Amino acid sequence: MADFLSSIGYEHWVIHVLLGLPILAIPAILFSPVKSARYIAFGVALTELVVGIGLWWAYDSSRSGMQFVTDISWVQGFGIGYRVGIDGLSVLMVLLSVIMLPLVVWSSWRGIDQKQRGFYALIMALNTGMLGVFVATDLFLFYMFWEMLLIPMYFMIGIWGSANRLYAATKFVIYTFVGSFMMLVAIIWMVAVVAKTTGVTSFAYSNLLDHAELLRPWGAWLFTAFALAFAVKVPLFPFHTWLPDAHTEAPTAGSVDLAVILLKMGTYGFLRFAIPFFPMFALSKTTGMVMATLAVIGIIYAALVAMVQPDLKRLIAYSSVSHLGFVMLGIWGSTVESVQGAIMVMVSHGLSTGALFFMIGMLYERRHTRKITDYGGLARITPMLATAFVITAFSSIGLPGLNGFVGEFLVLIGSFGRYPWLVGAASTVVVFSAGYMLWSTQRVFFNRLTNPLNEGIGDLNLRELAVIVPLIVAMIWVGLYPAPLLKRTSGAAHAYIEMIQPVLPKPALADPEVHR
Amino acid sequence: MGIDLSSPGGATLALLPEILLTFWALVVLLFVAWRHRDGYDMRTAGALSLLGYISAVAATGWLAWRGAHADGLSFMIALDGFRFASDALLLWIAGAVTILSVRWLIRQGILAPEYYPLLMLATVGMMLLAGAADLITLFLGLEVMSISVYILAGFDRTRRASAEAALKYFLIGAFASGFLLYGIALTYGATGQFNFGLIGAQFAATPPTLMAKLGMGMILIGFAFKVAAVPFHAWAPDVYEGAPTPITAFMASGIKAAAFLALARVLSEVFPAMVELWRPVVFGLAVVTILIGNLSALSQTSMKRMLAYSAIAHAGYLFLALWAHSDEGTAAVLVYLLAYSITTIAAFGILASIERAGARTVLLTDLEGLFAVRPFASMGLSVCMLSLLGFPGTFGFIGKWFLLSAALHQGQTVLPVIAMVGSAISIGYYLPVVLAMTLKPTRTRQAHQTIRFPRPARIAVAICIFAILLLGVWPNTVLNFATQKAVQLRQSALPLGNR
Repeated sequence: MADFLSSIGYEHWVIHVLLGLPILAIPAILFSPVKSARYIAFGVALTELVVGIGLWWAYDSSRSGMQFVTDISWVQGFGIGYRVGIDGLSVLMVLLSVIMLPLVVWSSWRGIDQKQRGFYALIMALNTGMLGVFVATDLFLFYMFWEMLLIPMYFMIGIWGSANRLYAATKFVIYTFVGSFMMLVAIIWMVAVVAKTTGVTSFAYSNLLDHAELLRPWGAWLFTAFALAFAVKVPLFPFHTWLPDAHTEAPTAGSVDLAVILLKMGTYGFLRFAIPFFPMFALSKTTGMVMATLAVIGIIYAALVAMVQPDLKRLIAYSSVSHLGFVMLGIWGSTVESVQGAIMVMVSHGLSTGALFFMIGMLYERRHTRKITDYGGLARITPMLATAFVITAFSSIGLPGLNGFVGEFLVLIGSFGRYPWLVGAASTVVVFSAGYMLWSTQRVFFNRLTNPLNEGIGDLNLRELAVIVPLIVAMIWVGLYPAPLLKRTSGAAHAYIEMIQPVLPKPALADPEVHR
Repeated sequence: MGIDLSSPGGATLALLPEILLTFWALVVLLFVAWRHRDGYDMRTAGALSLLGYISAVAATGWLAWRGAHADGLSFMIALDGFRFASDALLLWIAGAVTILSVRWLIRQGILAPEYYPLLMLATVGMMLLAGAADLITLFLGLEVMSISVYILAGFDRTRRASAEAALKYFLIGAFASGFLLYGIALTYGATGQFNFGLIGAQFAATPPTLMAKLGMGMILIGFAFKVAAVPFHAWAPDVYEGAPTPITAFMASGIKAAAFLALARVLSEVFPAMVELWRPVVFGLAVVTILIGNLSALSQTSMKRMLAYSAIAHAGYLFLALWAHSDEGTAAVLVYLLAYSITTIAAFGILASIERAGARTVLLTDLEGLFAVRPFASMGLSVCMLSLLGFPGTFGFIGKWFLLSAALHQGQTVLPVIAMVGSAISIGYYLPVVLAMTLKPTRTRQAHQTIRFPRPARIAVAICIFAILLLGVWPNTVLNFATQKAVQLRQSALPLGNR
């Protein structure tokens, strides 16, 4: 496969096609007849999938560093370039994005019955933005993608969302924009500082990373500016309040994109930018303790809040906060295992939460309610949906044998050396997450079927099965045989740890991996 | 290299754009004295004045192309790339405002074609102000501009708000002129010179006296009034709201641009030796202008008032580039003013089309549900709001990035942070406009049915919107052009300084 791909020059054009195709599709969608909009969108989504999936083979996991690199000058004289590339940190995120795209389009097939052209055009714009964030290796380009994502998401929530959509959309944009506005100052400042010493004005990631030493005097400020932007997006504990609203009010496609991709942009940002640029400050004992503590508070607090949610989507939204806390803990665990675990949680949270949002969307299309108490006893009339939901719920809890377990386990063992107490606290969440997931599953699918309105609900149709089954297959596969995924991330994780190794403070407990 | 204009006849040639524009203003004045009855006459006068702007642009372009310069002579008007770029910027603003005005005036029943000659004379004043190399020219330009705009602000005679705007603007403007004139007098008293270069050279040679410092302070205050910087801003919201909408666009973009261009030249040619003295003042002005401008805009319900406060905030951002006091800073002034003027004119152009005869203040609530009826107008206004906000992908972002970059390259880190805090606040009043237009439902069935978007204005606005988006992703040409022009400002200042 890899030979075939290199014979067609795959590595030279794949990123450009992935980024450009959805943009080109937007006018086609907008000027097509209403009925064909979704077909065009689906066609483009499938093409993206076919093109993007090749990365699985074309990405050479034995090499560290950027691959598929392109570096074209964009704004000459100001060091801004169209610089893109993929490495072990981003390859899985890109794959996740292209896999989700057709599913997202297909899941909206029936649910979106008004202003279809606008909706699919926004999905396309959103896709380019998401991919762009993960492949950009120029900070100017990265910032543009990062911010431009807000617009399609804003309109998606604001136009196709449910009752409280205006509030949720505004809150989402204000939180994210205000969170990231300092990042721009930080980026320009970094470039200015580096240019002063080296004489080279360049927004290239590699240029700034090579001269990260020069940034050390201002590390605290610069890190704070980056961390604020990323922490809001993750969302880390005190910055998470936009998420339940946005998730709940967004249409299914928006919720899925938010959960699967957008939240990962925050943790990706930490791994890619915030920590490598300013390791001295980011990994100092105090900062590490603060971040890990916030992560663990988020893990437990969000799980507790999730238990009492009456709204299914809100429940899942809080469970997202909890899962993303694991990612943050793994990042600050700073061992190869914990970082790989963090990436695995990012992927498996995408699979399971994406599937949960899809299924809640399907339920919502049938009954137009998301309240848990409106359901009950659905297992008898919708056995396929119930089965899928139960499997996904188990995967979300982190049952061994399913995908959720792999990442969380790696995070916990990887971080134990550095934060034994916090890891101990975080591991108790398994109980709570089993609590909220199983309890809500029971109330929706089991118990007695009391509400007569629920009797007419049909089971999954072929289209819906096609959305869910791939995700379920992926969950089981990742749970049973995660080696291919781990192989693709291990190079990046090792390189990352090697890079930050010199500045790491000594862990609380001896960790053989670190001292080898 | 280039034509040397250091002869008396050459001095006339150096003023060619201004002279041509004045000539055309007189032609239009003669025309409107002869024909001033109906809309057709109004339109003809507008078309004639456009010819005037075009010929002035051509003259500016010719001077720039021939590389006009005047060595060894202290001119009253600058002959450098910065002046030509400024002239082009100001002429484009005036031309666009004329296009927006043509149908709007007829629709609002303002059949007084002397509007166009006044607008042209105001433009001549702005060009003199921005191109002045001499304190006398500076003051002449300022007065020609101001007096024309006093009349234009009150042009809608039947409306009390417009008359109030004119009176307020006149009183405050006279006050500001007084400050500026006093500052000029003190500077002259301290140095015995009017020419920018000669004064600058003298300050560089001998430490400035108290009189000179006072003079500089007075000149700064005069300019602060004109650009509506806090705490000299109180007139702006009332005047902007009361004036006819195209004139508001003209004031918000043109006058601000002319004053900032002149201020940039004065600070870098007259007072470069006193940089340590004026930098703290500019710093303070920037901080309060950004914060108070943005915070006051939050609570506005009228669109014109909101944009007035937003204009104040943008003046605050521009102070960052002045603080930088570098080539990059001067270039940033040019780029930001271009971005800001394009956006402002497009925004006011769309607002002007929404105004109905009679009820002339567009409230935020009036825009609700506009998208359903007028998708392109509301998309255009959304783009304008995002550009003013400095959202990536728009020209406004490029301008803001360049400003921040200019300040950060000089080691200033507080002002950029303040500017971004201001931007973060500003999302609180730009976003509701987008929200109202696209996401809220229309209030009544009849809403937006009276909107008239005449074709000339529509084309002008469409070009502006296209430019905002295109320059937002492909700013190379503009950035390179501005960087080269701004460098020329320094070069013209240097030989005089060395003398």
